[in-house]
Amino acid sequence: MNERAIIGQYWPEDSFVHHMDPRVKCILSIAVMVIILCAGNAASLAVAAAFVILFYAASRIPLAQAVRAVGPLLVIVILTAVLNILFVQGGTVYFQFGIICVSEDGLISAAFIGCRLLLLLLAMSLLTLTTTTLDITAAFERLISPLARIGVPAHELSMILGLALRFLPQFMQELSVISRAQKSRGATLTMNPFKGGFSTMASLIVPLFASAFRHADTLSAAMEARCYHGGVGTTRLNPLRTSWRDGVGSVVVALMAACVVIMNCII
Amino acid sequence: MRLAVESVSYSYSGPEGERKARRARARSGARAEAVGASAEARRADWGNDPQDIWALRDVSFSIREGEFFGIAGHTGSGKSTLLQIMNGLIRPTEGRVTFDGLDLSSKHDAARAREEIGLVFQYPEHQLFANTVYDDVAFGPRSRKMDAAEVDRRVREGLRLVGLPFDEVAERSPFSLSGGQQRRVAIAGVLAMEPAVLILDEPMAGIDPGARDEFLGLLESLHDSGRTIVMVSHSMEDLARLCERILILSEGRIFALGAPDEVFADPAALKAVGLGVPAAQALAVKLRQAGFKLDRPLYDMSSLAEDIAAQVGREAAGVIPQTMLGAEAGERHE
Repeated sequence: MNERAIIGQYWPEDSFVHHMDPRVKCILSIAVMVIILCAGNAASLAVAAAFVILFYAASRIPLAQAVRAVGPLLVIVILTAVLNILFVQGGTVYFQFGIICVSEDGLISAAFIGCRLLLLLLAMSLLTLTTTTLDITAAFERLISPLARIGVPAHELSMILGLALRFLPQFMQELSVISRAQKSRGATLTMNPFKGGFSTMASLIVPLFASAFRHADTLSAAMEARCYHGGVGTTRLNPLRTSWRDGVGSVVVALMAACVVIMNCII
Repeated sequence: MRLAVESVSYSYSGPEGERKARRARARSGARAEAVGASAEARRADWGNDPQDIWALRDVSFSIREGEFFGIAGHTGSGKSTLLQIMNGLIRPTEGRVTFDGLDLSSKHDAARAREEIGLVFQYPEHQLFANTVYDDVAFGPRSRKMDAAEVDRRVREGLRLVGLPFDEVAERSPFSLSGGQQRRVAIAGVLAMEPAVLILDEPMAGIDPGARDEFLGLLESLHDSGRTIVMVSHSMEDLARLCERILILSEGRIFALGAPDEVFADPAALKAVGLGVPAAQALAVKLRQAGFKLDRPLYDMSSLAEDIAAQVGREAAGVIPQTMLGAEAGERHE
């Protein structure tokens, strides 16, 4: 049914950003998002945008791929922009019809918020575009492992996260097979609740859940057969290592923070 | 000529196939440069964009009314894609499929043709969902807005065709049935649409040997009652036993198309595309090379036993086939 790529699916490439340590990348992408949120005026936002473009250049992600990664979320950006146009008032009025009033301040605020959201989405998807899900979960596990001392099951949480990500494409594909199978036995797949939408949902969701339970059974059997016993004492095949790239990356992000703060202050 | 496939090609580079193609690229990720270098060579091979991955290439054939048609091929040879194209679920990149004059490339015609062409997917029991067997089989007819009496008639007929006793199973949950029974319910769900053509993708996969013979009998009886049947199978024995014609696919192209005796005449050629021939036929070909005089074009277990016995001669003529057949029949009784 829907075979489109998942938002920000990993894009294999041999680049500076791809080779960075996933832990550092996680922290830095959070930092970048905070910095973007801190950018208080157009100039500082422009500086932040320049840095984000620099990051993408360093990751060698093709422009088309970056657009595709954030494409489905552009709806949010556009919606926010439209709401801003409608609700922020002030300055010159360009257009008025009933209660709809487009004013100078509204347009400025829409452009500003829209750009900021777009930058946030781009920064967020850079992480998933350049890091495999396996690496993200490993980083996640390492980053929350200090919490294990106060009883947070760090390994289990990251295992759950990893499995969920692993099975996402699988279930999408199975859903497409199920929907084709139901179609081929006469179903008219509709989401309209007045035309049998509920029955459609049931005919897709129930087999999908049945398959999820089947997968869970076989997976747990397979894990036990390979002597899985939780995270204690487990070593990694590819231990995470920081390198000079992570130093350079951190410095660049720090530079970005400094530039944005300066721009915020002087203008 | 009910269902005709005319020079159909299917490439993964369409919007649907984009993800698959990208995954294939990701797999060869590091070798991206190498692929670029050999692009010219591949272009010569396929005469097309080397980035395209073709699941099917220029496949043409037609299925006659009432025929039992078999499709075989190595994993990844395009069988499942071909089935879905024949039923209008996916559209070919090139070429077209027609059914009784309906062109399946139009969405409207494809939906109409799908009522006449029932496709049973691999592991069809995985699509059961309703609370009772009755509701599950009735799903298709109800979606088509048939009245209750008609739905009831079709459910009864569907369950009867697959050999399930209506009174016993109708009110049970499909999930409480055995695997083989679940598969029968799923097939009944397709049969309830009363399709003229029934397409089955590996109907025998994961069925235990005991239930296997019953299933083959079921397919035979469905065919005998006038339905056109298309079956994909990995079992050459089943194909040789049931099919009037067999299509062998190899890397998306037609490798062979003909009656079982023609297709299975050359075991060496089939082996080259990753397939075998029925065991009795393979043995017959070897014996023929060793000097036995075996004239029939296609052998099964009993006919081979008969002919060997005749050649070995002696008083054994009556005995050997019987012991061999006895052993086979004995297995079936267990």
